[in-house]
Amino acid sequence: MKNTLTGKIRTAAAGLGIAGLLLAGQISAVSVSADAGAAFRTLDEIKESGTVNIGVFSDKSPFGYVDEYGEYQGYDVYFANRIGEDLGVEINYVSTEAANRIEYLQTGKVDIILANFTVTEERAEEVDFALPYMNVALGVVSPEDAVIESLDDIGPDDQVIVISGTTAETYLVKNNPEIKLQKYDAYAEAKTAFENGNGVAWANDNTEVIAFSIENEGYVVGIPSLGSQDTIAPAVTKGNESLLNWLNDEIRSLGEEEFFHRDYEETLLDTYGKDYEDTLVVEGGAAPEAAA
Amino acid sequence: MDPGVIKSYLPLYRDALLLTLRIGWQGVLLAFIIGFLCVTAIRFKVPVVRVIVKGYIELFRNTPLLVQLFFLYFALPKIGIRLSPEFCGSLGLGLLGGAYMAETFRSGLDNIPVIQQESAESLGMNRLQAFRYVILPQAVASSVPGFLANTIFLLKETSVFSTISLMDLMFTAKDLIGMYAKTIECLTLLVVFYLIMLLPVSILGSFVERRLRHAEYGD
Repeated sequence: MKNTLTGKIRTAAAGLGIAGLLLAGQISAVSVSADAGAAFRTLDEIKESGTVNIGVFSDKSPFGYVDEYGEYQGYDVYFANRIGEDLGVEINYVSTEAANRIEYLQTGKVDIILANFTVTEERAEEVDFALPYMNVALGVVSPEDAVIESLDDIGPDDQVIVISGTTAETYLVKNNPEIKLQKYDAYAEAKTAFENGNGVAWANDNTEVIAFSIENEGYVVGIPSLGSQDTIAPAVTKGNESLLNWLNDEIRSLGEEEFFHRDYEETLLDTYGKDYEDTLVVEGGAAPEAAA
Repeated sequence: MDPGVIKSYLPLYRDALLLTLRIGWQGVLLAFIIGFLCVTAIRFKVPVVRVIVKGYIELFRNTPLLVQLFFLYFALPKIGIRLSPEFCGSLGLGLLGGAYMAETFRSGLDNIPVIQQESAESLGMNRLQAFRYVILPQAVASSVPGFLANTIFLLKETSVFSTISLMDLMFTAKDLIGMYAKTIECLTLLVVFYLIMLLPVSILGSFVERRLRHAEYGD
């Protein structure tokens, strides 16, 4: 019996060894592909293949969602459709979650991410952002009978709902590490959990929490703007210059026809009304006064 | 690979490992208890209960854990039953595992020829004694590989806990990747930590198996 036990340990050690070898192999494989830089498709390759892969949300109404007929809809998707049209290719929509947007670009699973992707310094180290097409800040929504109007209203035992991989999460982890976060990996789940009363508040992009409070009775956006004003932009794999340049040209030329205002009126007007149009929309890559 | 990054993530992974282990073992223990109770009800043909148990086994063996967790965590509050994420995790694992453990255990029992029960009874044991001293030890012994496989299966199923906001190993890795995009480091740590959790189970399990199946293996 002693023999068999040592035998088993030996097998386990071999298992660890194999895992180690695999990991080592993985690491060298990664450095090889980083040298080759072949993780993305250039503009010509996309046009040649006849399909562009665009990563969008499937559960974040009204920006990117799947409607009752199974069609992708929303502010981001309206733009994506136009990109497909102007590239002259079919669009293959790939549903993404907040936390895997960078991954999908880095592994070449999508050519463009158009999933309401906020531009941040950390993310800009991993992917290349094109010109922005929307403004955003963070917001916090809470039930109207216990409104959170400042982060100080959050008690030491209270939990705030966030979605993993969003700027709200990163902001709170960095600036308010004392706040307990309840993390979910998809919008739909965070929403349901918040409706079920699992957290005292939900922190997310302010566009999203405003939409939630408009669509659901009994909730108030107590903190409409938290942190810095940011922008939302399409992202491509780091180094994919041909596609990046094309996107920037596209956004500039769409500005001439007021495309994003039309996009707003088609997709966001029902939710936000006319009031938010000039706050949210970024036309032609940058509004002159917001350029600083 | 950045050693500094790995070092800074280690405490988070350690916390996740502890959480995964805590919920995992509660779930496995619950699974054993449920499984044993179910098999007893089937074996002794307890009326009504036996039918319920069979229904339970089919229901939980044929639905994914993810769906069960969704139901426990997101649907029950709608009818006023509010459970903590950790409790949902343990309960979900226990209910799923209970169905698997019951089936494994039942097949172990079915392996023992009926003639043994009859022989024991002819030697003067009553039904319970025959079950306790003759059938059960053999059935447990031959079920051990199945139990072990189920245990490892259940511990690995913890990887869907992110759905109910539990920071298990998988979610910790995904969350860190989402925030800082250090993919290689995060995934490497993930593999290593799953091995740290499961290799001892595997080794210990084989050891227990040898001990319990003494009759088949000899010394």
